[in-house]
Amino acid sequence: MLGRHADSLFWMARYLERSENNARRIQAAFHYALSREDDGREEWKTIISESGSEVVFRNKHSQLTLTDAINFLLRDRDNVNSIITLIYKARQNGRSVRANLTQEVWLSLNESWIACETALKRPVKIRDLPGVLEGIIKGSSLFRGALYGTMLHNDIFNFLRLGTYIERADNTLRIMNSKHHQLLPTARVIGGNEGQSQWEVMLRSLAAWRSFNWLRKGQLDPASVANFLIFDARMPRSINFCYREIKSNLGDLSNYYCSNYVSYQMACELLETLNVPNVGNKKIKPSEFISTHIVKNNEVSRAISTDFNLCKS
Amino acid sequence: MFDEMMGFEGDATREAYTNLFCWLGDQDLKKLAKKSSSAEQLFRRIGITFNVYGQKQAEERLIPFDLIPRILAAEEWRILEEGIKQRVTAINCFLCDIYNEQEIIQAGIIPAEHIYKNEAFMPQMCGFTPVGGIYTHVVGVDIVRTGPTDFCVLEDNARVPSGVSYMLENRSTMQHMFPELFTTHQIRPINNYPKDLFSSLIECSNSSFENPNVALLTPGTHNSAYYEHSFLADEMGIELIQGSDLAVQDGKVTIRTTQGVENVDIIYRRIDDNFLDPLSFDPKSLLGTPGLFDAYRNGSVILANAPGTGIADDKAIYSYIPEIIRFYLGDEPLLPNIPTWRCDDKNNLTYVIENLHELVVKEVHGSGGYGMLIGPAASKKELSDFSRKLKANPGKYVAQPTLALSTVPILTKNGLAPRHVDLRPFVLVSPSKVRVTPGGLTRVALKDGSLVVNSSQGGGTKDTWVMRA
Repeated sequence: MLGRHADSLFWMARYLERSENNARRIQAAFHYALSREDDGREEWKTIISESGSEVVFRNKHSQLTLTDAINFLLRDRDNVNSIITLIYKARQNGRSVRANLTQEVWLSLNESWIACETALKRPVKIRDLPGVLEGIIKGSSLFRGALYGTMLHNDIFNFLRLGTYIERADNTLRIMNSKHHQLLPTARVIGGNEGQSQWEVMLRSLAAWRSFNWLRKGQLDPASVANFLIFDARMPRSINFCYREIKSNLGDLSNYYCSNYVSYQMACELLETLNVPNVGNKKIKPSEFISTHIVKNNEVSRAISTDFNLCKS
Repeated sequence: MFDEMMGFEGDATREAYTNLFCWLGDQDLKKLAKKSSSAEQLFRRIGITFNVYGQKQAEERLIPFDLIPRILAAEEWRILEEGIKQRVTAINCFLCDIYNEQEIIQAGIIPAEHIYKNEAFMPQMCGFTPVGGIYTHVVGVDIVRTGPTDFCVLEDNARVPSGVSYMLENRSTMQHMFPELFTTHQIRPINNYPKDLFSSLIECSNSSFENPNVALLTPGTHNSAYYEHSFLADEMGIELIQGSDLAVQDGKVTIRTTQGVENVDIIYRRIDDNFLDPLSFDPKSLLGTPGLFDAYRNGSVILANAPGTGIADDKAIYSYIPEIIRFYLGDEPLLPNIPTWRCDDKNNLTYVIENLHELVVKEVHGSGGYGMLIGPAASKKELSDFSRKLKANPGKYVAQPTLALSTVPILTKNGLAPRHVDLRPFVLVSPSKVRVTPGGLTRVALKDGSLVVNSSQGGGTKDTWVMRA
């Protein structure tokens, strides 16, 4: 396979995953905003700064309103991480590797783009937001289904999955990072409304609110939330889960191409650090653990690029 | 005016259309017209779009698709097929001669200046003969019709013809929407085209490569025909590459893959000559691959089509094609040309200017229907502006009579209505075989009375059926 094609596949999957994650994040923040007496303004500020587009937003809007925030996050083309920009980029990458995708996978991607372009043509009204977000997330699910059900599970598939899980690990880590003060072992605010809803936003953003409650029978404590999101092998957005997938896909590529790769070694080493839940252990600082893993995850991503000739030069 | 469904008089259904005519009689045409918007949606979903140059980036448009098929009877197709085979064979002989011995110039049939002064002539190709003497492997021959058996060639496309994906997608759309029509008609299949293209390419490799690695070279996702490039690469199961993927190392053409570098043996290139190799052609091109042309001349890669084929299909050389056929094959042309006046000839120019209101004038190097004048449809001012342009630069233009092109009905809001059509059959040439896919792309002028079928000028397309005998 061409290095450029592998690169497009990898980034197509990353952008699509990011668009789904951002949609979930907006969904959670919206839910939070509706359940409060103020309009949850702080939460929108957090999302915008998490996405790294704070300056772009401030240049366009003197103050932060719910409608502005939503439209900026969904449909502003100057925002590199808006949903429409991400799906556009995912489709552009997909178009350039069309011959590597099955018809069903391409259709799901192209239809997501058409639906998204139509839904986001005009500013989104508050009352339409839930439907719009659901549509975006559904498109992503359809893509995933077509991918698993119709693609050969070969190197093309591996590069797509690597993109997805590198992005997903990054997303989980970043959300935890922006809320790490909630994860401090001393932050025992259980029962306090404020603390409770912040946990909820974080877990909802990761599609993990109900599963966590189900596993813990409604008991929320900072260490178990952190351990769940980082170490739980059952949870599809945990770092452990992502890294088992990354390791497995890199392992497939090593076998397929009969070669040893630096990125595979790195993923194995990283996974070693994710096997034993350690938040709550006094020697480990969750915030440090999270920020070093953000860096390590980026290093793995770069190593993949180098190992497989993904980018030019 | 000849209508392909209803004949000259417009009162009797021609035989090939009998079944379709009955079927149409049973349809609610209003409902059918609605169905055509579902066809458009299908095209949009699949992403069968073309990019429009000069429009804002990412603008992707659909080519309008008309649901009423165009039908050619077996004996009509036989005329076309034989004529086309003869024509492309002669064109390849001409290219081989023009880049080697140039006997046709020595014989005084084509003046030397018409070759040397032509910007499509590529001196870099002189003294090099591709495998089997095949220069143009993929050809589109544009055909117009004026009567039941009156076909003529409007132009040849010997460089990088496009449109074959529309031919194939139109057919699969029709099969999807009206499967019943395919059970009541004996239509010759066309879906083998990608396989035939692949075979044609492989057959050029001679025995110089074992398991040759074939790739399709595209200018990229912003090119107007990108959909077609990805479609064909997908159907053939070959890599879709860009200039940036290619490098020439130790005389070999290589691509950068996830496992390091790999050789490429045959390139079906869909980029223009000028963008192939900045060292041999346009030095400013960023799309090209330095050294590609040298590798080609050394035989380490095959390019299809060969560079320099444009000399055979520009509108000035076109007028010599009947002579070319006689000269190389010793036969009379089976398909006539349209009479063509080259305006660089003084007598011709006078005639053209005097009769401008009745003629069609085209740029010698023009394409896509841009820059042409249709005399009968032009205003007085347009005519006088154009004759000024003609006098200023006569060598740039050729003129032809305005033909009464045949019509085929299209579906409009108010039912069926006749519109002018042309036909681009697709031809594949390899050292061992000439293959013509039965049918081709029918382009149709959607505006009432219009003679311009180009998609860039508001033309649409139709599925084209060639019937079994």
